[in-house]
Amino acid sequence: MTARFVLFFTGLITFFASEAQEISFSSDSAKLLTEVVVTATRTERRLGNVAVPVSVISQKQIQQAGSLRLRDLLQETTGLFLTAGFGAGVQMQGLNPDYTLILIDGEPLVGRTAGVLDLNRIAIGNIKKIEIVKGPSSSLYGSEAMAGVINIITDRSRKELLNASLRYGFGNPDEGWSLPFGNKAFKQTDVSFNAGVTLGKFSFKYSGNALYSDVIGYRINSNNRVPQPVGRFTNMLKLGYTVNEKAVLDVSIRNGYDYIKKEISVSNIGGVSNSYGREINNDWNINPVFTYKFSKKVKSAFRGYISRFNGDEKLRFKEKPDSLYYDGFFQRFYKVENQTDITLKNMTFTGGAGYIIDQARSTRYDNSSSVKQNTIAYGFLQYEWTPVEKMNVIAGLRYDDNKLYAAAFSPKLAVRYNFSTKFYANASVGRGFKAPDFRQLYLNFTNVAAGGYSVFGTIDAIKIITQLQQRGEIAELTDDFNKLSTLTPEYSTGVNIGAGFMPSSKLSVTINLFRNDIDNLIESRQVATRNNGTQIYSYINVKKAYTQGLETEIKWMPVKHLTLTTGYQFLLTADKEELKRIKNGIEPVRDNNNISRTLLRSEYFGLPNRSRHMANLKLTYENKDQVFATVRSVYRSRWAISNTSGNTVYDEFDEFAAGFVMVNLSAGKEFKNGIRLQAGMDNVLNYQDINNLPNLNGRTIYTSIFYDFNKNKKTR
Amino acid sequence: MKTRMILLALVSVVAFTACKKEKQKTNTTSPTAFNVSVSGKIVTVKNLPADTIVGITSQGQPYGAGKYSFFSLETNTWVPNSDSATTKWDLAFGGSTIRVNNVTSGPGAGGAFVQLANFDDVTDVSNDSTFRVDNHPVSYAIPKGSGKGWYNYDGVNVLLTPLAGRTLIIRTASGKYAKVEILNFYKGGVTPATSASDEIKTYQQRFYTFRYTFQANGSKTF
Repeated sequence: MTARFVLFFTGLITFFASEAQEISFSSDSAKLLTEVVVTATRTERRLGNVAVPVSVISQKQIQQAGSLRLRDLLQETTGLFLTAGFGAGVQMQGLNPDYTLILIDGEPLVGRTAGVLDLNRIAIGNIKKIEIVKGPSSSLYGSEAMAGVINIITDRSRKELLNASLRYGFGNPDEGWSLPFGNKAFKQTDVSFNAGVTLGKFSFKYSGNALYSDVIGYRINSNNRVPQPVGRFTNMLKLGYTVNEKAVLDVSIRNGYDYIKKEISVSNIGGVSNSYGREINNDWNINPVFTYKFSKKVKSAFRGYISRFNGDEKLRFKEKPDSLYYDGFFQRFYKVENQTDITLKNMTFTGGAGYIIDQARSTRYDNSSSVKQNTIAYGFLQYEWTPVEKMNVIAGLRYDDNKLYAAAFSPKLAVRYNFSTKFYANASVGRGFKAPDFRQLYLNFTNVAAGGYSVFGTIDAIKIITQLQQRGEIAELTDDFNKLSTLTPEYSTGVNIGAGFMPSSKLSVTINLFRNDIDNLIESRQVATRNNGTQIYSYINVKKAYTQGLETEIKWMPVKHLTLTTGYQFLLTADKEELKRIKNGIEPVRDNNNISRTLLRSEYFGLPNRSRHMANLKLTYENKDQVFATVRSVYRSRWAISNTSGNTVYDEFDEFAAGFVMVNLSAGKEFKNGIRLQAGMDNVLNYQDINNLPNLNGRTIYTSIFYDFNKNKKTR
Repeated sequence: MKTRMILLALVSVVAFTACKKEKQKTNTTSPTAFNVSVSGKIVTVKNLPADTIVGITSQGQPYGAGKYSFFSLETNTWVPNSDSATTKWDLAFGGSTIRVNNVTSGPGAGGAFVQLANFDDVTDVSNDSTFRVDNHPVSYAIPKGSGKGWYNYDGVNVLLTPLAGRTLIIRTASGKYAKVEILNFYKGGVTPATSASDEIKTYQQRFYTFRYTFQANGSKTF
């Protein structure tokens, strides 16, 4: 059966190839250098002049991959690892999802659960491109930009447009190839509409997207499959007003709304308890930007940003309909900022300052109606210098003064040297930080369902535990109780050294070596035990870790119409304390025969949930007649998931999730009348791992139609 | 390649002779058949049931019949419950609790402590050792609780695994010494995968696999 489908696609490719006429070789590798990027320096720069590792994913790539949500796309991107749990998060350079900042047009998305921003929340069908900057970027963006920054850039051009698309997909993971029938099949419908109009000095643009899917959900550690209908709606309105050639006002308003129906079966040894309910995420972002060009040399942007996120979940037990489990989280994020760029002969000064009010309340804090607030005043400076034509130097620093915790100072230095048009090298070193989040400060949560353990944020932990102790409810305080104090930000120092080699217009090779040293990592630790044996946890800045590795990408056009890209990341990680114990020969392990012995350095695996090897291979066919086909495959080696070898470190004798290969196919054609047809198959090999990859659907087949109304008008 | 072949041959010979030395003996008097094998100084006990699960309460708590399994390190045998008030046993296993024959647990001279060392590296009982005794049900010579005595309990995955590098130093009912390593807590000596069903995790627990060396001459060296 698989063979037949592969044949079908090969046939498709051959068919398109035979149709092909002569081609103008618009070299993508030339574009690689001239592409304008903004995320790396917060100014418009050609990619060929940027000293830090930046990659760009174009709208075309997104379309050709048939990606609907940010998750779909990032799982095919070199060096990124999609994590499961609290939605889909992204791990960059081996750092957890908490440490990558996700931006839309330069402004942060808020509403993280346990540090994870669910990438399924973000529709990417209507965007212009995505820029990914790797390495600490706190010198420009402040907190969370420790591993890097993913910036989703929407189209701000004043172009007229009118288009719509419809996509339908289905799969039946259990039964392999059967059609979208039966109660275990899932179906997915996605509709998009975009319109833009310019009236004199005013421009309006609307983008709407609705996705409905009844994906099958799994409960971790069970094979229970339950339909989980999800509706996701994204609306975006962009208003532009060109006051004069010096002054421009842009306002963008975005709303993301997710409705997730829940049916949860929890098998609790004796029996199964069924609950049903829903989860709603409602996300508003309003972003006015006023840009003023004082002169050719001086440009200033005044930005405002209001973001509010409401996430709440309501569940009732089937057996007891009056019971209500309610979990709510509300975040408000307000920001004002000015950024001014001064461009002189061979240097640019960028300076900015801003003020942030960040508020949250949650049913998991002491009192669900009390609003917790942090304020941040910050300033940043960046100096970009081109001493000689071939060389680019960036020096930047940022200072964040936080009300709730210690201030953070984030410097960065980056250098790039273009030896020739065929070869460059770059190096950068920077400091990143992540502020403690509200949960680590204010959580006041007792999990009655899971045995009654409690977690208290550091602000009140000592007070609460002391009160419990006075009431005689505490059996024991651990050593970590005495370490409780005001949390400080987590820090990282990141070094990236890279080179690029473009021997011809048909081949480019880039390589980047990275190392991130992370200090002060916040960990939840048991600080006390109640008389009834239940544990009390809080947070302490204790851990030190590193991640290091190599990333490489090769792009090659072996013959006309065909592009081959491949990416690979090698990653090593370690907890520094654990590593010290292992090197001193004092870390024991229980080997495969259950026998205790000393753990060897070579058996240590580092941090859990990380693959040592990740690779992708993409083959894209594209001709002048707007016909394309892609074959994209992704590989991830095994990753440690559970510590069972009798120690506290992750080693060869622990439990691992199996490595896997996923293959996706797509093909399509854009007709001259503005219609674009596309079909594809995701996860051709039907790879599934319910426990470790709950977000990965089985084999899915989809087809889509896109229509550009304007194009048709022009042709007529 | 050649050295590897020689090595392989050597290993086979050693394994063969080791097998020959082993005296297999199955204790049929015990409620569930378990297995004791002797190899040199080391005795390995496999699958010793320890108050295995017989049912689940309406609150979902699994429970056993409340009967300990008594074991003699001196005779390498299971001891019937009727002898619980004698000095015939050295260790009693019930759930994750291991008791020694002394004070609140029995009439013997038993005692124990947990030493942070690999079993093979423990060559003697140092003279400054302090043996603890049971104070049932408040505390035990071998402490209860995750990370405190001999095991770690993972509440998320509901799995109990013996800590590595912990050797139980035991003073037997007759005042002699033994070193004990608990190897596994599940049937067949294999910890279920984290993804295993609740049923497997519930009903395959409370089967001890452990090994020990008993010093019959009463000295503190093993």
